[in-house]
Amino acid sequence: MTISVEDVRTSRKVLAEMDYTPAKIDKGYAGQSLYVNLSEARIEPKTVTQEMKDIFTGGKGFGLRYLWQAVTPDTKWNDPENEIVISAGPIGGITQYPGSGKSLVVTLSPTTGSVIDSNVGGYFGPYLKFSGWDALELQGKSDKDVVLYIDGDKGKVTLEEIELETGASHLISEVLTEAFAESEEDKQHISVVSTGSGADNTLIGMLNFSWYDPRRQVVRMKQAGRGGIGTVFRDKKLKALVVRFSGLTGKNNNPADFGKIQRAGVKIHREINKFDDVQCRMRQVGTANLMTVMNDYDLLPVMNFKYGSHPEGKKISTEVFISKFTQNVYDGCWYGCSMSCCKAVDGFELKTGPFKGEKVVVDGPEYENAAALGSNWGIFDPDFIIEANFYCDTYGIDTISTGTMVAFIMECYEKGILNKEITGGLELNFGNKEAAMELLHQLGQGKGFGKIAGLAIRRMKKVFAEEYGADSNFLQDIGMEAKGLEYSEYLSKESLAQQGGFGLANKGPQHDEAWLIFMDMVNNQIPTFEDKAEALHYFPMFRTWFGLQGLCKLPWNDIEPEGNKQLEEANKVPEHVQNYVDIYNGVTGKNIDKEELIRQSERVYNFQRVFNLRLGFGRREHDRVPYRSQGPVTAEEYESRQERYDGQLKELGFDIEGMSTEDKMKVMRKHREDMYEKLIDAVYLRRGWTNDGVPKLETLKALGIDFPEVVDVVKKHL
Amino acid sequence: MILVNGKEVGYEDGMTVKRLLEKLNYTFPMIIVRVNGKLVSKEEWETFVIPPDAKVQALHQIAGG
Amino acid sequence: MKIVGKNEEECILCGTCEAVCSEYYFKEDNREKSAIQVSEIDEDPGVDINVCNQCGECIRFCPVLALSRAKSGTVILNKKKCIACFNCVGACPTESMFYHEDAVNPFKCIACARCTKECPTEAIFMEEVEL
Repeated sequence: MTISVEDVRTSRKVLAEMDYTPAKIDKGYAGQSLYVNLSEARIEPKTVTQEMKDIFTGGKGFGLRYLWQAVTPDTKWNDPENEIVISAGPIGGITQYPGSGKSLVVTLSPTTGSVIDSNVGGYFGPYLKFSGWDALELQGKSDKDVVLYIDGDKGKVTLEEIELETGASHLISEVLTEAFAESEEDKQHISVVSTGSGADNTLIGMLNFSWYDPRRQVVRMKQAGRGGIGTVFRDKKLKALVVRFSGLTGKNNNPADFGKIQRAGVKIHREINKFDDVQCRMRQVGTANLMTVMNDYDLLPVMNFKYGSHPEGKKISTEVFISKFTQNVYDGCWYGCSMSCCKAVDGFELKTGPFKGEKVVVDGPEYENAAALGSNWGIFDPDFIIEANFYCDTYGIDTISTGTMVAFIMECYEKGILNKEITGGLELNFGNKEAAMELLHQLGQGKGFGKIAGLAIRRMKKVFAEEYGADSNFLQDIGMEAKGLEYSEYLSKESLAQQGGFGLANKGPQHDEAWLIFMDMVNNQIPTFEDKAEALHYFPMFRTWFGLQGLCKLPWNDIEPEGNKQLEEANKVPEHVQNYVDIYNGVTGKNIDKEELIRQSERVYNFQRVFNLRLGFGRREHDRVPYRSQGPVTAEEYESRQERYDGQLKELGFDIEGMSTEDKMKVMRKHREDMYEKLIDAVYLRRGWTNDGVPKLETLKALGIDFPEVVDVVKKHL
Repeated sequence: MILVNGKEVGYEDGMTVKRLLEKLNYTFPMIIVRVNGKLVSKEEWETFVIPPDAKVQALHQIAGG
Repeated sequence: MKIVGKNEEECILCGTCEAVCSEYYFKEDNREKSAIQVSEIDEDPGVDINVCNQCGECIRFCPVLALSRAKSGTVILNKKKCIACFNCVGACPTESMFYHEDAVNPFKCIACARCTKECPTEAIFMEEVEL
């Protein structure tokens, strides 16, 4: 599996090239995007129109706009016309405000069949923009493995064949960084996008975006995880993307008002420095600070989301991960991120797999990974989680989907739907570390039962019902996917608003749109359907904005400014919302307010809903969720929280004396499913959609996205 | 009986804010506590005694990963 | 290691130090562009002299290793490496790493001693301290 820098340098064979003069960035935009057709080995610049900037803003908005133009209603993820679009967005690449270097990746997903988007760190997006490109469109399919190289210093794009005989993403990132860097100093000017053999062998392949860590002197990676983007990447025979840009100054966006950005940045840097140690401890443990919290509040998925906590949860607590992570170092996935949450385990010795015995640097585990690859499998061993995290990353498979779908497999195994014969000898009980790790290697290498597992839950449900005679209703109840995407790692059973947060999310059940569990379930701040609908309007729109700008969500509310407590709308963190308005205006020279910020998102959010509709999804039936996300599917779940559930039934006026657990579960289910439907009614109304979840014409008009092609799609459903 | 975030919770004589949060297993580090509408700062949690029949808000400032 | 020592009780708020510093490094008399900043405060002794004590806390927060200790012990910023993120400004325990919208990079006292030579009251002076 080893490849040498020398081999890479000598094997480079250019298939196509384009020389260009990098556009000067004007207030956050290069004004140009880069189009590459892999079937024809064709490289071209495109002009970014004013309409693109005005309506779609950037980032995910640009990705959706370009993808819409590229595909038809019949396009499948593996058709050549499908595109992968990567874009930073106007704020993307500023160094003064934490979390400002994200790339947004958009494509048609192999598992959902519809649009997927992912928000990822690493240096690629900003370097791409500063090399002169607001977005990169990758269309077509190559017939051999290729690498795309963008040299922003020299003004040259090349499509190349390079011998990279490895399916290990961390090695690809490392060797390409070394091969393309002209010196040790130059390594931090390189970012590589790549994936691993798991993307060839499963539908849940992801993309690693790299950066060079000058303190550790290693290449590190962040993941565009959701929805199988890496699988599309490999289907196009892309092996890697490489960008090189050495001119970072901190003012490359050529902002309209540098002082405005600087002041907002210094203010929040100071806040983080003062309060992070007593608030979320992002700088010590990153998002894994949630491990103890989620276990304490019965929200940590345990054994395929059956339970929300476990006595052994303390073995994978926040404190345990603090002790595993290297402390007191700068850990930003883009320059200047004072939140500095991308922690790493240094010098971790692998115990299994192709790199057994090697010492590696492991990114994270972040909260999602620790829950997905640990508690959700009934495994409470931090070293196991770290190892599984490493292999998911280097195989190029999504930790969240891997976690949720293996948890599903384990429950099927325990229920007798699967057995050793089907799994090729793997005893996939909850808690079986050896079997779970072996399955992960099989996923990554396309072997054994991994070939079935790699189809992800929606397709597995079909296989298990059709081939192994499983009850498809039961599989529907316990298979934690919606729209074809696996759930991310929070228990939503006791929070109706969060059930909607997951179920109504445009791309599928990912928590990046809305995370309302505490506001709803614990704080009881949004008791009525109208309150919940308002939250399910505001928060998804507010959070969508990060994806338009190239921003990270975390510095918004994982640090709280002094005095926030006293504010009526503390949950919105008003001071930080104002910071975002300021840095947007500072970069672009515009003069938006917090209402216009939401409108920018509404345009793109509704456009994405219509895009789903255009591809045959995006209606009420597609917002259905598995009952495991809403309530207890099995008697063991009910009885494990009997006091709570009995109490709820009594409050609802049921006389539960003499009722069996089965009967109680039945009435509870009826009630909860009704509530979900009522919630959906309220949210559709608030969003200006029909009762079938279709954006109304007046909504599209008010947002200025009533293009004929958009109206055409919607009209069929009105 | 007191109301915490609109839900009934059993009252104990001399119950402090700290004791209430322990009882509910509210371990999250960023909680805003208001007793009958009045903000009780973290420094006062150990000594502040909640009156009987009080309305308590224990608002967790968390909006997820 | 030499640092700018201070005796705030002696300070008469004349602003000479700020003028000397900003004129030397920014070619203008502007206290906001000085790496030593003096202000009147309510608490005793009524004056605050804000100048870097060379503690070096900022060094570990720099993402590009632009901050380091010179042989003399003074903490210096390599402007060629600096990418203007101001993390050092946020991390400084005494808020003695300064910034200004006209300047891309932050700036700090490098113990050049120009201001201390001009101080009329010896409120500031060069002092030898253990690293």
